[in-house]
Amino acid sequence: MTITFDHVMPHPLSSIQHGKDSIWGNAFRLEQGQKVVLNASSGKGKTTFTHTLAGIRNDYSGNLLFDKQAVRDINPEHWAIHRREKISFVFQDLQLFPELTVQENLLLKNDLTNTFTEAELKKFLAILGIPEKWDDPCKLLSMGQQQRVAIIRALVQPFEWIILDEPFSHLDKANTELCLELINARCNTLGAGFILTTLGDYHDFTYDKELNL
Amino acid sequence: MLKKILFNNQVKSQLIIAAVGSFLGFTFLITSIHYLIRVNEFGEGEEILGSNSIIIQKKVSNYNTINLAKTDFGENEIDHLDQQPFIEHVEPILSNSFGVSFQTDSDLVPYFRTDVFVQSVNSDFLKFDSTLWKWSEGDEFVPIVLPREFLVMLNTFASAKGLPQVSDELAKSIRFKFKLYNDNSSEYQAARIIGFTSEVSAILVPSSFMEYGNLGFPTAVPAKVTQLMISVKEGNFGTFENFMEERSLESKESSMIVGKLKSVAGTLFGVVMAISIIAVFLASLVLIQYAQLMMSKNAYEIKTLLRIGYAPKSIIQAIIAYFIKVFALISVLAATSFILLKFIIDGIMIKGGIMISSSFTFLSFSSVILAFVIYTAVNYWNAQKEILRAR
Repeated sequence: MTITFDHVMPHPLSSIQHGKDSIWGNAFRLEQGQKVVLNASSGKGKTTFTHTLAGIRNDYSGNLLFDKQAVRDINPEHWAIHRREKISFVFQDLQLFPELTVQENLLLKNDLTNTFTEAELKKFLAILGIPEKWDDPCKLLSMGQQQRVAIIRALVQPFEWIILDEPFSHLDKANTELCLELINARCNTLGAGFILTTLGDYHDFTYDKELNL
Repeated sequence: MLKKILFNNQVKSQLIIAAVGSFLGFTFLITSIHYLIRVNEFGEGEEILGSNSIIIQKKVSNYNTINLAKTDFGENEIDHLDQQPFIEHVEPILSNSFGVSFQTDSDLVPYFRTDVFVQSVNSDFLKFDSTLWKWSEGDEFVPIVLPREFLVMLNTFASAKGLPQVSDELAKSIRFKFKLYNDNSSEYQAARIIGFTSEVSAILVPSSFMEYGNLGFPTAVPAKVTQLMISVKEGNFGTFENFMEERSLESKESSMIVGKLKSVAGTLFGVVMAISIIAVFLASLVLIQYAQLMMSKNAYEIKTLLRIGYAPKSIIQAIIAYFIKVFALISVLAATSFILLKFIIDGIMIKGGIMISSSFTFLSFSSVILAFVIYTAVNYWNAQKEILRAR
């Protein structure tokens, strides 16, 4: 799936002067399989970017297209299909269910997509260093642990793109590397791409494309 | 899992209050509709007179009592009435001048005997099959139409004596007999009920039987005509009512016990039904509001489910299914309570001499199904609106 930005301009940002290489007000395409980074400091509009891609915000001018389909024309039932099969997200606020255990949070998604076995899910937790958290309610986990659960949940489905909004903000360097490695491996398996927003750190990864605000 | 996410953080007390309100409303709604139908059916189809036919008599005043005014109609008066342009046909209602008593003649029911007075009306005014409404000397039985209140009295009497009640159908199969008599002789004639009426207060018999009795058992008391059967021309009831007022005549129709009884019971059940509808409406509003509150409290959960790929339809279905179960439980409990209540109320009715059908009414249960469908539709519409708003 190709993502096309055709002079997209969020209404709240329209009064600000944007550069020629900015994602806002310019035209560019993201090809499937590309590894893309968006590096910017806080409050610059990274979440506006991911929420626009996620269909959560429609308050923009210009056109945003998935292949040839305008994102703002996708109806709620079709969004459900897109979110199950084509595009996955790690939101900055994680969007986990705090009362549910790690197992329940992961199975909630896995039951929908039937992607992995429970053993495979546990293996993901082990890879990211939290195998013992399987039965713990998410509300008892630290932010870093919750981020890893949210990343695994986002991988538990087929996708063509995965959008990650500051997914490593509470992780140390070693854990960030483990997570990025896992994400990259899953993307390679699926032939998918990712868009990673980050707060100034490139996490020692070589990207195909960098976006600017 | 969806159930755990959406329904775990409920304030159940509000749900219980709304459910109890709905349960009470439903129970009384089914009960009141059922009895409203049954009470209205009571005595229905027994109108033996045509729609334009009416029984009239002279108003009774103090002058009548001291014999200064007559209550019977003379031939001239009848002719005068017959000539009125708004009257189609006039016939005197013949009363017996012979002594007559009426008694049971069957082992199925206890012995019961009473003096009665009988009347006969020309068959042109009756809706009966004319082949049933005839009698000639030597016939097996006299066909009769019994006033409805007569059976009510009979059942009240039976109830007081601790005897079984007599239904309409049973009454029609019981043998009765008339004793016709005067000072010199007497005779028994078998009688069988072919119908009931709420319009006439005397036992109705065919004219041929009346003539037979009046001729065969004459008494010193002459057969006076105190009531007339009149057929009014279509659309002339207003003129006729004014005419009656001027001539101090009155119609006989509204003085029947059954009519009053139906009216009182009907009003009572009508009021209960109105209160029940309000109760069901209010309780449903609380339930709908509860569903809305639940969705608002779970706004984060609903939004998150949508963002991880759950279809709005599946979330709406989970919410609707939950409230359908709640409503179904309320409906089943209400229907069960109604069946128990019906058992008690039917017993009270029978004790009071009112034999109503013991079968269930389709409309009473339909009212619950209708309320169920309306509630589910409103809830679905609300859930759809609420969930599609979340992104």
